[in-house]
Amino acid sequence: MTDRGLVIGAGVGPVEELAEALGAAPAELLGLDGQGDRSPAALEAARARLGSGDQVDWVVVALWPPTATRSPFLDLLDEDWERRSEWALTAWVAAMGAAVQRCRDGGRIVAVVERPPPLDSVGWSAESALADAVEALVRSLSRSEGPRGVRVNAVSTPFRMVELPVRPPAPPLDSFPGGVVPEVAEAVRMLIGPGVAGVTGTMVHADCGRSWR
Amino acid sequence: MTAPDDRRVMVISGASGGVGRGIALACAAHGWTVWIAARRAREGTAVAEEVDGAGGHGRFVQCDVSDRRSVEEAIDEVVARDGRLDAVVHNATSGLSPVPTVLEELSLVDLQDHIAVSLRGLRSMALAAHPHLRRTRGSVVALTSEAGFEGKARLSPYAAVKAAQRGLVRALAREWGPEGIRVNAVAPLASTEAMERAFELDPDMADRVLGRIPLGRLGDPAEDVGAVVRFLVSADARFVTGAVVMADGGSCPIA
Repeated sequence: MTDRGLVIGAGVGPVEELAEALGAAPAELLGLDGQGDRSPAALEAARARLGSGDQVDWVVVALWPPTATRSPFLDLLDEDWERRSEWALTAWVAAMGAAVQRCRDGGRIVAVVERPPPLDSVGWSAESALADAVEALVRSLSRSEGPRGVRVNAVSTPFRMVELPVRPPAPPLDSFPGGVVPEVAEAVRMLIGPGVAGVTGTMVHADCGRSWR
Repeated sequence: MTAPDDRRVMVISGASGGVGRGIALACAAHGWTVWIAARRAREGTAVAEEVDGAGGHGRFVQCDVSDRRSVEEAIDEVVARDGRLDAVVHNATSGLSPVPTVLEELSLVDLQDHIAVSLRGLRSMALAAHPHLRRTRGSVVALTSEAGFEGKARLSPYAAVKAAQRGLVRALAREWGPEGIRVNAVAPLASTEAMERAFELDPDMADRVLGRIPLGRLGDPAEDVGAVVRFLVSADARFVTGAVVMADGGSCPIA
């Protein structure tokens, strides 16, 4: 890939793996472990810093927490809910705002989000909410950035959220739940590539057929 | 356990006007006891009186849905007074919802208000109601939006939190189904003060919105939206959970 790209979400193993597969430099928004200053002001400063760099051909945003832990809704402490949904959404908004600033006219933005398939969503209420919010952000940005030729799409993956054996029915592909390489990376590569010039505002579920919409 | 509508009790957040008021009146017509949970006492009390006039039993409880303790106190008051709770409807939304902005310039402080009201509010309402809904095999309904499906170029924070509600509804329906609690959402498109304000802020919006509705009009908050919510909280919908019902005149074709 000869285009210049940027992956926002450094510091988390699978995201580093994704950046390497895409041949891009990873960048950090803020520490994603939920520690340190999580104020809106800190995120606004991070957005401004990250958004002020050179423009690139494509930006991938993959704000993943260091680990994914299944927690029934009733057991989710306030602080965990806040970190896994409210702060996470704020960070995603900041990161997508930075992506808009860094992406050149005619460029591409792809959000890579962890999303439990509906069949496997028990214990993942915060992540289900976050994934749908990111999908709506992508749709919103596809509308606002479309006039300058920027395509905005998303890829979802559940690979850190699935306990095996999976509950029936079996996923169409027995490689479920997949992984960063090749499942996620190749879907991202397709969306940042020239072959899908008419595709924007979509979420590709790289989950071996587990989700059907 | 399930009771006839005229003995059933519900709480609606953000019901001092608009769609929330419409839901209250629609359920009142079927005899529900309807608690108006809102910050504005004067307007909320007035709607509670309308509920009385519409055939139900209207009550008001002050509640700030962005504050979990306030929600818990409100639900406690409802159950202490009426002895049961059959449904909670989370309709409250941030006052910033219709304010246009672009994502890269969005104030993240403003975003916190969207999140606190729409997302944290839904969580708080569901958590506070859970033990009571388990006893009555009751239900939760979230008022989401077509914006959560299709996005909005200049209302992206609103679209995001409305979509987040949908994701939470989907997960909760699976988690709480085994306890007999149903969790659903309605995406309305209704004629409200908030919609009128949005039209004022974006003069072209009215043509855009109305021009894409196959039924050619905005919905009535009570007859078109409230009736759908009333169905979802009723025993008629006892086999419906995890659903998002579009009460929008066909505006947002998601199927």
